[in-house]
Amino acid sequence: MKGLFIISGLGILAMLAEIFKFKKILYPLVLVGILAAYAMTFVDWNPPTDHLSRLDELTASFSNMIRFDQVALAFSGVILVTAFFWFILASHYFENETNITDHFALVLFALVGALMLTSFSNMTTLFLGVEILSIPMYVLAASRKKDIASNEAGFKYLIMGSFASGFLLFGIALVYGATGTFDLGGISHYISNSHGDVPAFFYAGVIMMLIALCFKVSAAPFHFWAPDVYEGSPTVITALMSTVVKTAAFAALMRLFNVGFHHIGDVWGQIMAVVIGLSLVISNITAASQQSVKRMLAYSSISHAAFMLMGVLANKNGFDSISSILYYSLAYSVGSIASFTVLYNVSKDNNGHIEAFNGLSKRNPFLAVCMVVALLSLAGIPVTAGFFAKYFIFTTLIGTPYKWLLGVAVVTSAIGAYYYFKVLIAMYFKPAISTEPVKVEMSHTVLLIITTLFTLAIGIVPGYIIGIFK
Amino acid sequence: MLNGISINMYIMLSAVLFIIGAVGVMARRNSIILFMCIELMLNAVNLLLVAFSTLHVDAKGQVFVFFVMAVAAAEVAVGLAILSMIYRNMKTIDIDELSKLKH
Amino acid sequence: MLGYTITQWLFGILSFLAIMFALMVVFTRNPINSVLYLVLTFFCIAGHYLLLNAQFLAVVHIVVYAGAIMVLFLFVIMLMNLNQDTEPQKTVISKVVAAIAGGLLLFVMVGALRGSEQLQIKQYGHSDIGLVKNLGNVLFHDFLFPFEIASVLLLAAMVGAIMIGKKEIK
Repeated sequence: MKGLFIISGLGILAMLAEIFKFKKILYPLVLVGILAAYAMTFVDWNPPTDHLSRLDELTASFSNMIRFDQVALAFSGVILVTAFFWFILASHYFENETNITDHFALVLFALVGALMLTSFSNMTTLFLGVEILSIPMYVLAASRKKDIASNEAGFKYLIMGSFASGFLLFGIALVYGATGTFDLGGISHYISNSHGDVPAFFYAGVIMMLIALCFKVSAAPFHFWAPDVYEGSPTVITALMSTVVKTAAFAALMRLFNVGFHHIGDVWGQIMAVVIGLSLVISNITAASQQSVKRMLAYSSISHAAFMLMGVLANKNGFDSISSILYYSLAYSVGSIASFTVLYNVSKDNNGHIEAFNGLSKRNPFLAVCMVVALLSLAGIPVTAGFFAKYFIFTTLIGTPYKWLLGVAVVTSAIGAYYYFKVLIAMYFKPAISTEPVKVEMSHTVLLIITTLFTLAIGIVPGYIIGIFK
Repeated sequence: MLNGISINMYIMLSAVLFIIGAVGVMARRNSIILFMCIELMLNAVNLLLVAFSTLHVDAKGQVFVFFVMAVAAAEVAVGLAILSMIYRNMKTIDIDELSKLKH
Repeated sequence: MLGYTITQWLFGILSFLAIMFALMVVFTRNPINSVLYLVLTFFCIAGHYLLLNAQFLAVVHIVVYAGAIMVLFLFVIMLMNLNQDTEPQKTVISKVVAAIAGGLLLFVMVGALRGSEQLQIKQYGHSDIGLVKNLGNVLFHDFLFPFEIASVLLLAAMVGAIMIGKKEIK
């Protein structure tokens, strides 16, 4: 809860920086603020003994609109860590832009929305969280004003986002109509008390909400906007979309379906299983034929969305797979940040064609090695974090009726490995276009070292994160 | 029954309005009309919320409508700003013209 | 009159008009006409709010939608001079697909109405939940947190719109 307030305050501070002329120190201030918000998740995590009542008191004082329980805090932690890494990645980007303070404010406001999505316990806060996260992202996607591709990305994102919001709202309205409450606990209570005797439009509402959130996490067949938007946006913003936004949308989906609707898991489970299967097949096959690394990463993010959805699907009979979703989102976010950092340094012209990677091992061996680790992690090759992430998701799925998804996932992952290796081959075995070495900034070097070590470290000792809720 | 009108009628009415809006989003090319169709969808939702709110004799549904209105206003402001920027750059707001990114 | 009460007549007329105007929004060529039809749709919806005893909301609805949002639309259309009738049409296929998708959606919705009669209705008749006093009470007690956090949303939209809208100053 304190973290949410700190980030909101930082956003307003960023706007004041323009007026009171402390733009120069704003960047370090924001980094410190995010770290402070992160520290707050630890303060709230291991509370003094009377904490449970204090948490309840605090939650009650906001009429049970928002609840920072341990699951919420864990996902907030992942989001804040990713955001911290992202700010290091974006340091250069912020220097070049004209409206620096506006950019800071927008990113921080989006972060407020993301934190709300991890912790909502009412449909109102879910809806507002989605919108607070999305509206700054629409603007940021379109923020390269002279670039038509960026304009279009922002516009397309906005149209698809609002369209999805419409579905989300219609779903909320139908669920409210059946249950008479917006409260997540109240809805769950209503379902378990009604013994299947609920009006059919309630299910229609649940399915519409599922469709809307699948739009937001860009799972097939609702993914068609994602590659265009990811490719058109500035690379740094794409990195934000595929990490922070995605993790937040997942935390929301998980909270909604595993807390609110977990009693009717059979109803949405079938649909979600189809969505997962489609996402895996479509994303991996289409990604293999892409020539732009940025677009390829967009398709790969769709397939990762499918894996995280598997976690949600497996979760419907309990809460055992939450930690594996947490692990997956952390491994995926860190791997993505690393690969986008390399992409940003290799391809400054914002299109990220694969030829730009040719011979990277000669031009800058350090970048190439970091990219290898990041891509191996995203592909799920052993020893890296990504392997264990996929492994844990698979183990949670084994006890459920959706075992057939495992087969689909294994086959498509093998196809997936192909396009990751395409980049590796380009880096190590193709002749370079120019022999001029690629320059990397100091901050990016540090970031790459941290993320690479992090990817290897949580791959070697995954137990720390997997056992976090015990 | 709300004043002699069944709740089903309200669900039907707002579903029809919502679907007219959704079809408009899919079938039109003029971006401004696209935005209007999205407004129509949100209004259908508002109507449904108010009907349910009266049915349950619960003011929460009506309060939710306020938030929908606030969000709709924010979305339109941002959307029209992006649209006018696109118009400055391209002199068109035809969405099929905008699809330069398709492969 | 034919066994229907006045409210039922009003409901029927308002619904018919709302659907008609909504269809006109989608099918009119000229954006200006679309805006005006949408305003008329909003007035019909406000009429429905009055029928549902949501008096305050009806007023707010007119002020916000017809008064603010649609005026913004009109401004943009007029500033860009977009009021021409010659909009290039989508291909027939995409129109057919849109119509089919809409029809399917409607079909699903109608199917979903089965069994909605069993909804428990707590109280019949006239109620005053739609009055300002009640709404204010709920808004500032139960919905205090969303109310506060909505300010972040509006702030973000404001900053975003200005950032996109203003000229680059070098």
